[in-house]
Amino acid sequence: MPQVIEVCPVDQLGPGEMRLVEWEDLEIGVFNCAGTVYAIEDRCSHDNGTLVEGELDQEACTIECPRHGSLFDLKTGKPLTLPAYVPVDTYPVIIEDETIKLEVE
Amino acid sequence: MAVELTENQRLAAINADYEERYGFHDAENYLYKAPKGLNREIVEKISEFKSEPQWMREFRLKALDHFLSRPQPAWGSPLLAEVDYDDIHYFVRASEKPGRSWDDVPEDVKRTFDRLGIPEAERKFLSGVGAQYESEVVYHQVREDLEKQGVIFKDMDSGLREHEDIVREYFASVIPPNDNKLAALNSAVWSGGSFVYVPEGVHVEMPLQAYFRINTENMGQFERTLIIAEPGSYVHYVEGCTAPTYSSSSLHSAVVELIAKPGARIRYTTVQNWSTNVFNLVTKRAVAHEDATVEWVDCNLGSRLTMKYPSVYLLGERAHGEILSIAFAGKGQHQDAGGKIIHAAPNTTSNIFAKSISKDGGRGSYRGLLEIAKGAHGARSKVVCDALLLDEHSRSDTYPTIRIGEDDVNVGHEATVSKVGDDQLFYLMSHGIPEDEASKLIVNGFIEPITKELPMEYAVEMNRLIELQMEGSIG
Repeated sequence: MPQVIEVCPVDQLGPGEMRLVEWEDLEIGVFNCAGTVYAIEDRCSHDNGTLVEGELDQEACTIECPRHGSLFDLKTGKPLTLPAYVPVDTYPVIIEDETIKLEVE
Repeated sequence: MAVELTENQRLAAINADYEERYGFHDAENYLYKAPKGLNREIVEKISEFKSEPQWMREFRLKALDHFLSRPQPAWGSPLLAEVDYDDIHYFVRASEKPGRSWDDVPEDVKRTFDRLGIPEAERKFLSGVGAQYESEVVYHQVREDLEKQGVIFKDMDSGLREHEDIVREYFASVIPPNDNKLAALNSAVWSGGSFVYVPEGVHVEMPLQAYFRINTENMGQFERTLIIAEPGSYVHYVEGCTAPTYSSSSLHSAVVELIAKPGARIRYTTVQNWSTNVFNLVTKRAVAHEDATVEWVDCNLGSRLTMKYPSVYLLGERAHGEILSIAFAGKGQHQDAGGKIIHAAPNTTSNIFAKSISKDGGRGSYRGLLEIAKGAHGARSKVVCDALLLDEHSRSDTYPTIRIGEDDVNVGHEATVSKVGDDQLFYLMSHGIPEDEASKLIVNGFIEPITKELPMEYAVEMNRLIELQMEGSIG
């Protein structure tokens, strides 16, 4: 059953910023990419690197895994470069009442 | 009557004439030679010399940060501890610009290649020659009909200058700069290597060839090769490596990226014979999309330490990967070689055939990964690794890793370790074949399944190199 969780007020995650959200056993990276917020599983599918510690490219809308350099598309969760080849999960983002919220299951 | 040598004398005599045979080198005469060690200034200097676009300069500097912040790998070979990154020249520029014809190539460089037999080989067999002398490719030519078909075969520096859009799209997409410490090093200081682009449906019938050579003492060589085969195309790329012998260590750390689009086939053949002080730490990786095939044929001779595991990511349905590897470890050498195949799509197939020969205390290791991802149903793979030990002091190790995330797959793994047996030698000698000759025959028979896959001139060279390695090995 989908559930909506709150992340933070919109003004606490400016463009280029990112943060980790934990909910039950999920770890989710939330990224502000030039004004649009995306949320993906915070775990590189290659070697479990923490993506929110990587480099965010706002122009390309990608996050680079700090461990071995795979680039992930924040919109789709798909890896754009090796060594990762399995997509990571993505989560719908809801902006409501000046607050960033995520839909999780 | 022959004098009986002690074992130590026999070991010491092996390859004592290596310098004479392969160790010729020319007086150093360069336009620019960077001081030893690595820092931002040197990386910026390399980029400036090459008049590179800003994005490549930034790519290099970022890679340098990765390199400096990463520890030396803790796995692999204990010999890795001998690599001293501060004692290496990271960039040497041999001539002003790549020559278009053989006549334009400087005399001393030409002499070196004459001794390696490149011009003859080119005239007879090759579609094009990219000869890398130190860090810059000095000579490059692609046969006219290939150019007309749209095939691009250039040194990587020219590729970046003349085809920046293609390079930018694919460069480091298969091996990111922070994939590993050595890939980061290469990404920071890369120079030369080949850029190959084969348009859709084009079959390059003759192999494209490049020849690499290190001449300067304590010089690293960091070539970068990128091959893109568009849908339905075919290309066979061949690289050969020989280096003169020196008293102190040299480092060779290449990055090779192959991209086989749907239905394309790339074969990449390497015959290397580094001198026995070279650390050869190379990252080679390929992607094969739907119905594509990638084959690595990898022959490793020479070097102090080789760590090299060509890999193929089978990303599209029915893609096929093949790795054929030979490693010959002699006195004081460690050949840590193997291959990796990742089945990431259904009905993909692969083979890894690895053979190692160890003698005079050499160590041959097979290190491999076979991974079948969840969802890659119908995948089939066979891994065979064979080791031949020529004496009691040599060593062979096998480190196979197999990860299977799918039920409906077919995977086979075989490994053998054998010795040249007295009975085999006795059998051949009873037919009038001298002992040395008999031993060579056994070794040649052992590696024959892989040498038969080499182009003719390389098969001949490979057999010659093995013979040289074998001389005096049986006492």
